[in-house]
Amino acid sequence: MTFLIECPNCGPREALEFSYGGERSHRAGPEASETDLAGYLFFRDNVDGWQTEWWAHRDGCRAWFLAERHTKTNEVRRTFRPSDHDEGATDVNVGAGEASQV
Amino acid sequence: MTERIGARAGEEIRRDRPISFDFEGRSVSAFEGDTIGSALAAAGVTITGRSFKYHRARGLYCMTGSCPNCLMQVDGIPNVRSCIEPVREGMRVQRQNAWPSVTFDVHGWLNTFSFMMPPGFYYKIFHRPRWAWKTVEPFIRSKAGLGTVPREKDHDPREVHNLHPDVLVIGAGAAGLAAAAEAASSGLSTVVLDERTTLGGGEPDEVAGLEAEAREAGARILLGSAAFGVFGGPLVAAAAADRLYRIRARHLVFATGAVEQGAVFPNNDLPGVMLSSAAELLVKRYRVLPGRHAVVLTSGERGYETAATLREAGAEVTVVDLRPQGRSATGFRVIAGSTIVAAEGRRGIREVVVGRPGEEGGATLPCDLLVVAGFQAPSTNLLAMTGAELAFDEDAQAFLPVSLPPNVHAAGAVAGARSREAAEAQGRIAGLEAASALGAPNADAGDRLERLRTQAVEGGDPIVLPPEFGHGHGKQFACLCMDVTRKELKTAVAEGFDSMELLKRYTTITMGPCQGKACMTASQRLCSRATGSSFAGTPPTTSRPPWVPVELGTLAGWRRTPRKETTMHDRHADAGATFMWAGDWRRPHRYTTPEEEVEAVRTGVGLIDVSTLGKFRVKGPEAVTLLERLYPNRFSDLELGRIRYGLMLNDEGVILDDGTVARVGEDEFFVTVTTGNTAALERWITWWNADWALDVRVLNVSGAYGAVNLAGPSAREVMSALTDADVSAEAVKYLSATTMDVAGVPALVLRIGFVGELGYEIHFPSMYGEHVWDAIMAAGEPHGIKPFGLEAQRILRLEKQHILVGQDTDAESDPYEVGMAWAVKAEKDDFLGKRGLEGLDAEAPGERLVGFTASGDWLPPEGASVVHEGVWVGRVTSARKSAAVGAIVGLAWVPAGWASDGTTFEIQFGSHRATGTVAMHPFYDPEGQRLRS
Repeated sequence: MTFLIECPNCGPREALEFSYGGERSHRAGPEASETDLAGYLFFRDNVDGWQTEWWAHRDGCRAWFLAERHTKTNEVRRTFRPSDHDEGATDVNVGAGEASQV
Repeated sequence: MTERIGARAGEEIRRDRPISFDFEGRSVSAFEGDTIGSALAAAGVTITGRSFKYHRARGLYCMTGSCPNCLMQVDGIPNVRSCIEPVREGMRVQRQNAWPSVTFDVHGWLNTFSFMMPPGFYYKIFHRPRWAWKTVEPFIRSKAGLGTVPREKDHDPREVHNLHPDVLVIGAGAAGLAAAAEAASSGLSTVVLDERTTLGGGEPDEVAGLEAEAREAGARILLGSAAFGVFGGPLVAAAAADRLYRIRARHLVFATGAVEQGAVFPNNDLPGVMLSSAAELLVKRYRVLPGRHAVVLTSGERGYETAATLREAGAEVTVVDLRPQGRSATGFRVIAGSTIVAAEGRRGIREVVVGRPGEEGGATLPCDLLVVAGFQAPSTNLLAMTGAELAFDEDAQAFLPVSLPPNVHAAGAVAGARSREAAEAQGRIAGLEAASALGAPNADAGDRLERLRTQAVEGGDPIVLPPEFGHGHGKQFACLCMDVTRKELKTAVAEGFDSMELLKRYTTITMGPCQGKACMTASQRLCSRATGSSFAGTPPTTSRPPWVPVELGTLAGWRRTPRKETTMHDRHADAGATFMWAGDWRRPHRYTTPEEEVEAVRTGVGLIDVSTLGKFRVKGPEAVTLLERLYPNRFSDLELGRIRYGLMLNDEGVILDDGTVARVGEDEFFVTVTTGNTAALERWITWWNADWALDVRVLNVSGAYGAVNLAGPSAREVMSALTDADVSAEAVKYLSATTMDVAGVPALVLRIGFVGELGYEIHFPSMYGEHVWDAIMAAGEPHGIKPFGLEAQRILRLEKQHILVGQDTDAESDPYEVGMAWAVKAEKDDFLGKRGLEGLDAEAPGERLVGFTASGDWLPPEGASVVHEGVWVGRVTSARKSAAVGAIVGLAWVPAGWASDGTTFEIQFGSHRATGTVAMHPFYDPEGQRLRS
């Protein structure tokens, strides 16, 4: 299994050059409830579809960035630096009704 | 005995270049251009192997590498397809799956007892009495499998080549070459793959014109490179003799052609029964006549062509044409409206029964060659791996692609073309379409496309297939690889395995070395007959890689182990160090003896290379914020030039790593982490930095800085000889970070002491490694300086009870358990692990990591059990013999209640026993006077 990922710094490169950081979750901070803490520590959405996730260009520029990847087809439709994330936009894998995700 | 026939234009053999090789102990002569198969055929060898299950004699069948009949052991490598493997001078070739020899195989009796081996026989028989299976199983196992696995290294390492062409064409037949010519002449980078090393079928100029056109247009044609799988992406993987190709193209053209199919009738596997591809190639390319009395079964032109080829080469030929009218021909007899009902023979075909399709009996015709000609199964397997959909085509009597994923094209026989003209036109269309989709300008494409589309329509006669099976005694094989017969398929369907996918799993049809190339059509048709369905309603089994056999070595690639050496490595080697692996690093384990080296550090001075430490520069206006959140320790109050030990936790509160943090500027810190964790910690730190979007830069300078630790009571004297800077106890205090020149090199000097003595960790640009090492060793000589290795360092740190994360801790260890509650500033607003630690009681952890001394001489190994009243309650993580303490010292996990000085416990490992005594403080210099001095 391998595919190309467009590193925001280096352009399209083999997925094997990257380290996967998992789906983008939101850290349960000091004020979060126990339920949210458990959700953050131990549960993942594990979506079947588009997912916003972390990748690091381990064998390249070493930068962390975010990618929108389809978990079934491995199509990567967008990659972006965390700072380029649209203001107010929600991650695609966090939808309405998934209250356990902060 | 066959022999070469006269020279002919288009032949591949070079009669002026003889080659000889070893075939089972005898020398066989061949010509350059021969394959092993053709050379053996020329030498009169008709049996090329024994079948997998029944050990039946088998001969050359396809000559295209599409069947299992000629697999041989070549220079130790098993299962080489000898019909397409070029001969090399001196190669050693052996047939497989027979003992003592293929010509006389004692296991031929298995054929007679085949009634005992129906599909899944191992599930059905030998079950009673109960001892039967145990007796029979080893025997069955010894008979199973193909070839002998080589014990020695059998090849040089293979490379991986990544290609990113605009267009990838798979298959260099007429369609593929035409597609490549069009794509390349439109200015697209184009790659063509073909498994064959020689193109064409032995006729001069067959595809030579197209090949030249494609090459002139700039296409790169890779022969001997077999595409074996299409993976997500799509990524096409192809194997060549010395490399693996990984190819990502913007457009894919599948011109994979078709595989000729046989016919099913009794004894259809006899040597001398072959496909027209084999007969044509043997005669035209290699000039070997495979039989003098030939019968050709066909329903179209292909059979008549082959008949003419054989006739021309000197054979007497009869054509059996399935079509009622047949066709007139000169030079040979035609029996129209007939089929082969059965074949007879023992080690080769002797006669065939020619009769009406679907009826029993017929006329007997003696022969020594039966050619089945013109029944094609399109090679849709690679195409199907892209997600293309197939549907049955009545005219072609085959499954053809009906819908293709974006940027995927199919052309030629795989798309239903049966004539050269249609194939070439389809190829050109595919090339032009790819070019137009990729925006390549092509002025006359509109007109040409229209013309080509007319030519691309296959207008040939509909295909007439022979009956699904014949009549008479003898096995009727559907699958040659796994010896699956018509009768066995019928039985399996009757037992309920009534679809292709189930039959595949139960009987192993289409699962053998040929992966269904030679048997898919027969299997589908027999399955449809047995289930009362139709051929059209019985699609082929799912296509999976590998489509052609691939050696594991090709997939494994280069066997390489990363190996890192510090810039002082040669000095260690010169000093006689023995090295050990520390992650990817080679580090000195010892120079003399660990005891001697420990003694030097404790009483004089020692030097260790610690360049392998992970080192980071953390800089930026929010550097303090980042560190405050990354560590449970506090860093906001760390003064400039001061160092603090840091423990890194994950959000569960588990210890990830430890190291030091030095403030080297208002907004700049120098952070060290454990050697083996460097890469992971870099990702960890930079990940959080990215997520929190802090204005901080984190730079991994591990390779940029070399480092040594100079330690021992005399370390200060050595330092003062190396620098003009004031290194007095007042100027360079314990836990201070000072920039100074050391041996003329700008360095960052950290006063820390992992080994528990006055020590300086000196970081400097790594290129000065040897210079700094030499200078320190020279300056230390009057003080008896000794280099020390990792083993000495382990003893030294154990005497101080300094933990090694990952050695003494595991994936559940928290700071309270290892006695480092002091590092956790729980009152901080937030840090990684804060919430995780809140759930724990700092005062009463479940278990504790404690120091211990042990009685006796036995050194408990890592992992030795701590036992209480016969029950396992803990384990030893480190232990070494300490001269300073005069006993074994170590660290162990024990129940928390035992964490007080003097508690004794039992250590066990195998038959060994020792008594441990808990010590809650460092064994050596418990007050830490020496390292602060």
